Amino acid sequence: MKEVIKNTTFADRLLLLFLIFASIAGIFTVGKAMSQGLNVTIEIDGKPAYTFPINIDKTIAVSGRYGDSVIEIRDKKVHIREAHCPNQLCVKQGWISNGAIVCLPNRIVVIVGGNGNNPQKDIDAITG
Amino acid sequence: MQLQDKYRVALLSAYALALHGFESLLPTPIPWVRLGLANIITLVALVLYGFRTAMMVTLIRVILASIFTGTFLGPAFILSFGGGVFSTAAMGLVFISSRNIFGPLGLSLIGAFFHNIAQLTLAYFLFIQRIEAILIISPIILLLGTLTGVANGIVSDILIKNLLKKTEEKIQNVVQE
Repeated sequence: MKEVIKNTTFADRLLLLFLIFASIAGIFTVGKAMSQGLNVTIEIDGKPAYTFPINIDKTIAVSGRYGDSVIEIRDKKVHIREAHCPNQLCVKQGWISNGAIVCLPNRIVVIVGGNGNNPQKDIDAITG
Repeated sequence: MQLQDKYRVALLSAYALALHGFESLLPTPIPWVRLGLANIITLVALVLYGFRTAMMVTLIRVILASIFTGTFLGPAFILSFGGGVFSTAAMGLVFISSRNIFGPLGLSLIGAFFHNIAQLTLAYFLFIQRIEAILIISPIILLLGTLTGVANGIVSDILIKNLLKKTEEKIQNVVQE
């Protein structure tokens, strides 16, 4: 074993350190960049009306059939703070960080999803 | 190609195939992680007998192994073939262009790295087509590849040294006789 270590060149060691460092750095940076890629999409009458990144706090008013609904984004979560629909189900649903809030009477849908990509079916691959 | 070279390629291919088959029997913690033991033989072939022998051994190993396991021309074969050829080409290029800069360990690392790069690229274009999925998994695969690359590099290093010692002894015996 000692002989093997003695037998490595400087470039070998440098390459090893670089690869380990780069891949570990990659694990952290890529994961972070991906989690920030989530967007909040607000659909009115079935059509996407607004898109906001979920990591920026924001409060907006969206007008539906029963007047304005107030949608708030905070701490990477989103909720409908105020709505004037009869049953208030959307307000009762509270904070979500993924999935969707649907307000049927107002025809407003708030969706938290990836950065514009359709969630396609995952394909498993086998390497051999 | 001389007859002796043919024997050598045949023998090395047989070793590589045996290791390849043995490796597929081993349970791995994560399905797409392989040790790449056959790369040891490729590396030994490259250092001791040159690039052509190494490439030939790799091609024979990949094609025959896929025929034995019934994945010939399937998706697994394409990944295996691309990775094997690309990593051997990369190792050969580095070995020929800079003979003394990298030892067997460095060459093994380069081989593992390019094997994974080739497979990830192929997987992206042929099967998955979701760049985020590939990007998330790439660093993990590269880290694991580096670790197995170190292990293979150490084994190759010991093997190469012992084989060189044996040939030297043989030559000395011949000279003494």
